[in-house]
Amino acid sequence: MKNSFDEKILEEANDWIKANQKVVLATVIQTWGSSPRQVGSRMIVNEKGDFSGSVSGGCVESAVVRECVGIIKEKKPFKKIEFKVSNESAWKVGLACGGEIAVYLEEIN
Amino acid sequence: MKKNLLSEIIKKKENKEEFAIITNIANGESCIFEKNKTLDKNFEKYSDQINSYFEKTKSGMIENTNIFVETYIRPIKVIIVGAVHIAQYLVDYAKSLNFEISIIDPRGYFANKQRFPDLKIINKWPDEAFKEIETNSSSALIALTHDPKIDDPAIQHALKNKFYYIGALGSKKTHENRCKRLREAGFTDDQINFIHGPIGIKLGGRSAPEIALSIIAQLVLETHNKQ
Repeated sequence: MKNSFDEKILEEANDWIKANQKVVLATVIQTWGSSPRQVGSRMIVNEKGDFSGSVSGGCVESAVVRECVGIIKEKKPFKKIEFKVSNESAWKVGLACGGEIAVYLEEIN
Repeated sequence: MKKNLLSEIIKKKENKEEFAIITNIANGESCIFEKNKTLDKNFEKYSDQINSYFEKTKSGMIENTNIFVETYIRPIKVIIVGAVHIAQYLVDYAKSLNFEISIIDPRGYFANKQRFPDLKIINKWPDEAFKEIETNSSSALIALTHDPKIDDPAIQHALKNKFYYIGALGSKKTHENRCKRLREAGFTDDQINFIHGPIGIKLGGRSAPEIALSIIAQLVLETHNKQ
């Protein structure tokens, strides 16, 4: 019964869209090691940088928000980003737990 | 993702349908997969792998491809028998856990819209009420009346239909008597031992919200144990 405990982020995305906001959906598509959130975990971000949901335990959310706002500004419809602890910016946005994650960003248009 | 795809997904979730969202992360295309329905042309060549992910209720990247699959299954059905004080807290806790809850209680003054807004309430005796709910081994029963007239028929239904979780409120003594009645009704010791009675994991509290928390914790635990 995997995935039964749904977090209703898509429903929230739909509400934001109905309120005329631009929404980017961020989804964890791959994990390696002890990543904090499982595949399928989601977060949404609007053009102002407001966000809901999560793709980690708070470790990389700020970077994801920046990337999502960038997607809206640059009119790039999708992008894949990866976070590793060995990343050169690890001291800023790396995963403290030592895991790695890949996050797929897509604008809902 | 297209806006109309998102609305379609939400509709399917509301209708408790089982499906998968398929995304090609190299070109941004996405579609909905449903069993026994024609798959979007752009994803046709991955059809076997997508099917296999869906069957295993698995989500993830299909190996050596750019295809991401996210499988959605029906929410778990939880039937609460007894629209009592504890049930009100249970419903509150369960809200964020995506259970599909129905309440059965023949006593109209307990089970009414005012006490339980936005919930399926069946004001009937369990034998009649269960005719209105489709149940199977993915269903759970929480019996809270500790009145044998109401709880027993519901527990019997749950045992016969192999619910994955059956919990019954009541003291050890109440539960012993319940077990005796079930034995007399022809249920085996294995079946009877499957019932969580007294219900809930031991947290120590005795207030209604604390008992509700101990029940919901046990239900989540057993949901994962079943996987």
